[in-house]
Amino acid sequence: MTLPIKPPPEGEFIEIYGQRWSRWAATLSARLDIVISLIIILAITAAFHLHFQLLAGDWDFWVDWKDRQYWVTLTPIVAITFPAALQYVLWEKFRLPIGATLSITCLLAGAWIARVFGFHLWSYFPFSLIWPVLMIPGALVLDCALVLTGNFFFTAVIGGMGFAVLFYPGNWPMLAAYHLPVEVMGTLVSVADYIGYAFTRTATPEYLRFIERGTLRTFGGHSAWVASAFSGFVCVLTYLVWWHIGMLMTRVTTLPNRWRAMFGMPDHQTAAVAPAEKTHEA
Amino acid sequence: MKRSQSHQRAVRWLFSLMCLMVAGPALAHGERNQEPFLRMRTAHFYDVKWSTDHIAVNEEVTVSGRFRLFEDWPANLPKPERVFIGNGTPGPVLARVESYINGSPAIQSGPLQLDRDYEFKTVLKGRIPGRHHVHPMVNVEGAGPLLGPGSWVEVSGDHADFKLPLTTLDGTQIPNLETWGVDMVVRWQGFWILLALVFAGWWLRRPLLMTRLRALEAGREDLLVTRGDRLWAAVFLTGTVLTVFGAATWAENRYPRTVPLQAGQFRVDPLPRNAHEITVKVERATYDVPGRSMKMTLTLHNPLSRPVQLGEFLTANLRFVNHAVPAAMALVDPRYPADIVPRAGLTVHDAAPLAPGETRSIKIEATDAAWESERLTSLLTDPDNRVGGLLFLFDDAGERHIANVSGAIVPVFTGG
Repeated sequence: MTLPIKPPPEGEFIEIYGQRWSRWAATLSARLDIVISLIIILAITAAFHLHFQLLAGDWDFWVDWKDRQYWVTLTPIVAITFPAALQYVLWEKFRLPIGATLSITCLLAGAWIARVFGFHLWSYFPFSLIWPVLMIPGALVLDCALVLTGNFFFTAVIGGMGFAVLFYPGNWPMLAAYHLPVEVMGTLVSVADYIGYAFTRTATPEYLRFIERGTLRTFGGHSAWVASAFSGFVCVLTYLVWWHIGMLMTRVTTLPNRWRAMFGMPDHQTAAVAPAEKTHEA
Repeated sequence: MKRSQSHQRAVRWLFSLMCLMVAGPALAHGERNQEPFLRMRTAHFYDVKWSTDHIAVNEEVTVSGRFRLFEDWPANLPKPERVFIGNGTPGPVLARVESYINGSPAIQSGPLQLDRDYEFKTVLKGRIPGRHHVHPMVNVEGAGPLLGPGSWVEVSGDHADFKLPLTTLDGTQIPNLETWGVDMVVRWQGFWILLALVFAGWWLRRPLLMTRLRALEAGREDLLVTRGDRLWAAVFLTGTVLTVFGAATWAENRYPRTVPLQAGQFRVDPLPRNAHEITVKVERATYDVPGRSMKMTLTLHNPLSRPVQLGEFLTANLRFVNHAVPAAMALVDPRYPADIVPRAGLTVHDAAPLAPGETRSIKIEATDAAWESERLTSLLTDPDNRVGGLLFLFDDAGERHIANVSGAIVPVFTGG
């Protein structure tokens, strides 16, 4: 099907969301949707995965780092960032409440690509050691909270808390089997500990694991829930910050080129506008 | 299964070919790239043995030996307060089955003492076929990996045959740790990815960006998010929460006895030391750059009741052995990596045994191209220009005595 370049003849109009669209423009818009969506998906996958690798890193890479304390606290806090920013863009500009689900699913896809090609095929690590975490339940709650409240503050409070609190139980069906107790060389360890021990990470010795430190681990045996609650509180704040980062990223601001004047060249831009008008916002 | 394996193999080959186009082969771990002070003045490995140099997949090789944490530990490195007994291999090509330090399990890390000796043993199981360079290794927190000598171990067979079974304390049989729990990971994550697609698909099936933007600007939010959409979100929200907690409860019931990740430390005493030890003082040490020769004038004191002879100088895993001392030569296993046992050995200018109670100055020379090939001459560009190593002395009964040797070193650039 070829697109007509000239304007369509009379009568070829349709209504979308109460707005009048020519068929030609509607078709073009639909195609643009696909192109932009693909670009957004690739960009989010790459950027979010990089961000997550840098901040969650080893806690997400290895099964013997997935503890009840730091993994539970840190991972949701660094993972709620892109969902919040993307929720702003998609909700405020398009009323599309899929920002969190989209970004977290993209992150999971990126993580699996890295694990399969970088960790497993290239470096021989078994999947039992390197599977990535699941955060889709928390993302769904974030998006659903946004639809139901229509308000970023309540989404931050309800969704942000839900995002963190659902993290540990959402992963427990996968993780529980790795926390079975086992005796190795007369020492009690979990299966996850032994997997991390057996499949050598040459430059990552055991002591580098930042797990189960401090006094929280003795918190009545419920440190995961205490850590989840704390993480939820920080997630609420992080959400609010990143929602505003999303807002800033959608603002297009231009400034007059002062360098031309400083170098003695005529400044066409400032000459063309009123002297008092220094900043343009589009 | 066969098909997926052949597919995996094809992808791996494709990746390998792509990388071969831009990279040369990496034969070991860059151990020669470690700064000389790290290799000369931290952990000195000796008596290192590899039980075999060829195993099949699932067969085991044992690496054992001793190391001394050097007395003259570099001031810029943290002390060995948290140490892990590792193994230097190209990733998990061999599975570490067991490891011990002085007979105690070394699955976790722990503190060790300077100027003391430790015995280690690591049992490795063949996993990925190939020819792998295998080192004993000590990881010291803050100082990094300190590698012992490396030897090549050939692993033959097929990785698909590899198994690492385990029985847990509640009786659960794990057929292979490589694949344990992975099917649940795939099923559980696949289920949620499907749900995410269904949730997103509800919105994506309708016209998207430009059309929604125009409608929103025209104030038609009521058409963009309808009552049905809110109902859909409410159902999803409730379903998500119920599913998560339901599944977590199911997992709790299925695995009622679990333990957290273990973060304890081992405590182990060093090997006992002799009541009397030979002391060595470096009077002068030079490195003859054109001659590739380290020359040292040492003052040795023998507090023992037997005469001793200087048999070996060990530094940075290089073994300069005095060919004139049979007891020293007897400790050189013919299968020991030849590239780190310089042929010329150690020249001792005063070969007469050091009598009991005697103090004498002795000149030694360790000359070999290995100083260059092992990249130890970059010692001369270190800000902390000191040499360190162990001297092995043998009494007339063939018993070995170990002494530390360390001191400042001066380069000689003009030869002669």
